[in-house]
Amino acid sequence: MTPGKLSTYLKNGAIWGFILLELIFFTVAGQFLSLSENAFMDAGNMLLLFKQSAPIGIIAMGMTIVMVNGNIDLSVGATYALSAVVLLDAMTWPVFGGLGDWVIPVACLLAVLTGTVLGAINGLIVWKTGVDAFIVTLGAMLGYRGLVFMYNGEQPTSHLNWTLVDFAEAQFLGLHTATWVLLLVTAAIWFLMNKTVHGRNAHAIGDNREAAVNAGIRVGPHMMINFMIIGALAALSAVVFYAETGSVNPNDGELYELWVITAVVLGGTKLSGGAGSIISTFGGVLAIQLLRKGLAHIGADTSTVNLVIGLILIAVLLLDRQLNVKGKEALKI
Amino acid sequence: MTGTFGEENLMRLRTVLAASAASIALSAAAQADGYRIGITQNNVGVDSYQTTYEQAFIAAAEADDGIEAVVLDAGGDVARQIAQIEDLIQQEVDAIIIWPTNGEAVIPAVRKAKKAGIPVIVTNSNIAEQGFDFIASFSGPNNITQGARAAEIMCDKFKDMGIAGEAQVVHITGQPGYTTAIERAKGFEDRLPEICPDVTVLDTQPGDWNREKAQTVMEAFLTKYDDIDGVYAGDDNMGVGALNAARAAGRDGIVFVGATNFAVGYEAMERGDYWGSIYQSPVDDAEAALQTAIDVLDGKDVPLLNYFDTPKITQDNMGDFTKPVF
Amino acid sequence: MATLTKKDIGGFLARQGILLAFALFMIGFTLANGRFLDPDNVMGVIRSSAILGVMALGVTFVVISGNLDLSVGSMMSFSTIVVLDLHDKLGPALAIPAMFAMTLALGAFIGFLVGYLRLNSLIVTLGMLSAIHGLTLTWSGGKNMDIADKAGTWFDVFGRGEVLGIPVPILMFLLLAVTLGTALAKTPFGRKIYAVGGNGTAATFSGIPRARVVFSCYLVSAFCVATAGLLQASRSMGSQNTVGQGLELEVLAAVILGGASLMGGSGTIFKTVIGVLILGFIQNGLLLVGLPFYVQYVVTWVIIILAVWLDIAAKRGRLWSPIA
Repeated sequence: MTPGKLSTYLKNGAIWGFILLELIFFTVAGQFLSLSENAFMDAGNMLLLFKQSAPIGIIAMGMTIVMVNGNIDLSVGATYALSAVVLLDAMTWPVFGGLGDWVIPVACLLAVLTGTVLGAINGLIVWKTGVDAFIVTLGAMLGYRGLVFMYNGEQPTSHLNWTLVDFAEAQFLGLHTATWVLLLVTAAIWFLMNKTVHGRNAHAIGDNREAAVNAGIRVGPHMMINFMIIGALAALSAVVFYAETGSVNPNDGELYELWVITAVVLGGTKLSGGAGSIISTFGGVLAIQLLRKGLAHIGADTSTVNLVIGLILIAVLLLDRQLNVKGKEALKI
Repeated sequence: MTGTFGEENLMRLRTVLAASAASIALSAAAQADGYRIGITQNNVGVDSYQTTYEQAFIAAAEADDGIEAVVLDAGGDVARQIAQIEDLIQQEVDAIIIWPTNGEAVIPAVRKAKKAGIPVIVTNSNIAEQGFDFIASFSGPNNITQGARAAEIMCDKFKDMGIAGEAQVVHITGQPGYTTAIERAKGFEDRLPEICPDVTVLDTQPGDWNREKAQTVMEAFLTKYDDIDGVYAGDDNMGVGALNAARAAGRDGIVFVGATNFAVGYEAMERGDYWGSIYQSPVDDAEAALQTAIDVLDGKDVPLLNYFDTPKITQDNMGDFTKPVF
Repeated sequence: MATLTKKDIGGFLARQGILLAFALFMIGFTLANGRFLDPDNVMGVIRSSAILGVMALGVTFVVISGNLDLSVGSMMSFSTIVVLDLHDKLGPALAIPAMFAMTLALGAFIGFLVGYLRLNSLIVTLGMLSAIHGLTLTWSGGKNMDIADKAGTWFDVFGRGEVLGIPVPILMFLLLAVTLGTALAKTPFGRKIYAVGGNGTAATFSGIPRARVVFSCYLVSAFCVATAGLLQASRSMGSQNTVGQGLELEVLAAVILGGASLMGGSGTIFKTVIGVLILGFIQNGLLLVGLPFYVQYVVTWVIIILAVWLDIAAKRGRLWSPIA
């Protein structure tokens, strides 16, 4: 059922090869086209690359688990926005008036809790009704967005807490707070997927659900936990980003699901489930942000950026298929 | 700077050639005495105003040998805009011009630029007042005045029509949370009762600067209210959307007043369908922003709020204005 | 009658649940606001649903064949901008076929990738969503597109015209629905689409050319998108580049609401039309009772999940899923 080791390495290597290609291309092209005095590969620029990858990257880790399961979550953008609203609004609640700056961890916790609950709702519906995750989360994408709007009308929710901003802007060992969160989440999810029973089950369910059920895996609760993880991560991503901005518009996070899925697919995870690597997803996230940064670096305009990103996605899919075509054709049911 | 478009294009072509030659041959020398200015715009391509602004900005920057412009677009996404501000800080540009996607969310990023010693000029739509400490200047229209002037245009028309004692108005605002939208709405809502106390505002809904959304909002208004005498839209793009809805529903005699006169608004005024607007040129807007940045870098005394004038335009005086190019 | 069992009722509810829900909504809104069933209002709702509806018809074909199309919103912006631009350059009589040809070419490209190269339709159309937006911006230079001489053209007949008192958009929606509905239900081509969507591999073994069928479905979808773009352009005689943004999800919601399974192989044009109308009337009804537009998002969420749940519950004969 699983493709051979060699093709797995090829696939995992492919995204890093692509990143290398981007780095070379933008460095060379930047020499001629860029107005910047700094080289594209400047250390400061690369540190920013990690930081700027964090909001999409943190969610992408959750999406990888869900997709390995053979599911998908389209509601992450709305979950992200609703958690951000809770984060910023909770800091102004009179209940927490006496806490001073201790309101910050409380608000962060509440935000993550919100995301977890929203994920649990999706997971429970998928489990109990048997409706396809695509439909459940497409509905939730609308529904949760509606809740964001109902919270504060069409007005933005704002609360600027400079202590929180300072914390978010801080750099420890040269890395920004957001980068640390991204790295820690990546490490934790990598551990979960590769070193625990839960991770083994995730792959087993994605590979062949019937067989997993026969092997005694409780598929429903397992999937629900994964939806809770991605909900919590969407919320964590909101905490990381809005800590530094202090204001959320009700439309924020729209299309995030698409960018997250793009990053995960670039990393080689299959929409049909079963296969997927956390490290490659990390590569996929970097590749997209690098593409954006690079195109801006060489002065590409909005239309070119859209065109190039869309076509690269299709090209990668095509390439991926060519790499895998032999192993798959023989095994197709 | 105020040549016709043909001349500007020629000039642009010439300066592109000159600039590329210069950047290869003597980039270090050229940069030593010139300024490198970065701009991150809100959402180019979403409407003509923003696209024309970008073209005018590039043209103005290229017409000035001492300026190199790094032109970026946030695509309406606040996360992308903040990343662009960080990138510009990291590239050590001499000044940053921001067209904020969200007047509050960019404040910490603006503070970061100030800490790095880079002056920030806000263009077109201001940031929230909390951020005023961190900016060198705001360059753009006075949107409160614009809202007030729109109220005056509408009130005067109602008085002419003799319905100032009973008229009912609906109000379509721009994107919620966007400073321009908030200020225009405030200007209109404060001024209208002062001059036309008996006119009622029936309803206010956002049209998000989007013609289609405004059309949908207006369709709902027409369903809900049998008697609508006037529509104030936060810009002409939305105003024309509302006009389309009214025409499709066969409701005539409504007074439409907008802001930021678009070519479609100007044409609708020519046809007599649309009453008035506020004349605001994206070319002026872009050139003012660049000039403000240069003045700040030259060490000149620049006011914190650097407004350019935006006059009233109605069917009566539209002959005094050329048709907007966007 | 007395022997009506719980199971019968459940089965009936599940099969006709969507129509029942529709009826309940109509009654509720009528009670809440007498103007709801006013002929003018009903006509208005159908007219403003027509553009979404036309797109949903095409996407129904794609979904029945077992694929997705997330690019329809972006493609509709493209069609609208192109036909408006060409209107002033070539005249309406040439602009319309030229726009249809270009939109169909985009559809053919997607159909080739998904049908012949067997690439995943979700990712392909996601990529095309972005790429076509870039194409549109390149075409227009990012500017709004407006017809210069709005009074001197017959182009507005599609969006604003009326025949026998019925607005043309409604007529075109109906005409397309009947034509495509017949094609799907009564022709060999239609049966092949169900076969391919129901079980692609089996269809291939039984000699049905899967690739060509999928390719054709994307052509149908592109044709519907082009028609929607024409209606949109003609209705407003000018447009922003982002006019279709986000429509792909509303379209998909309508198709799912109509009961087409995303696994392929099921769904009908009639049910999609019902799905479109439900969305349109909910939107209108909520506005009429004075609720803001975003309440419809939450209502749509609940209805979609209930509708799909009841549908599959009827098929498997039990309410709760067998997942352990």
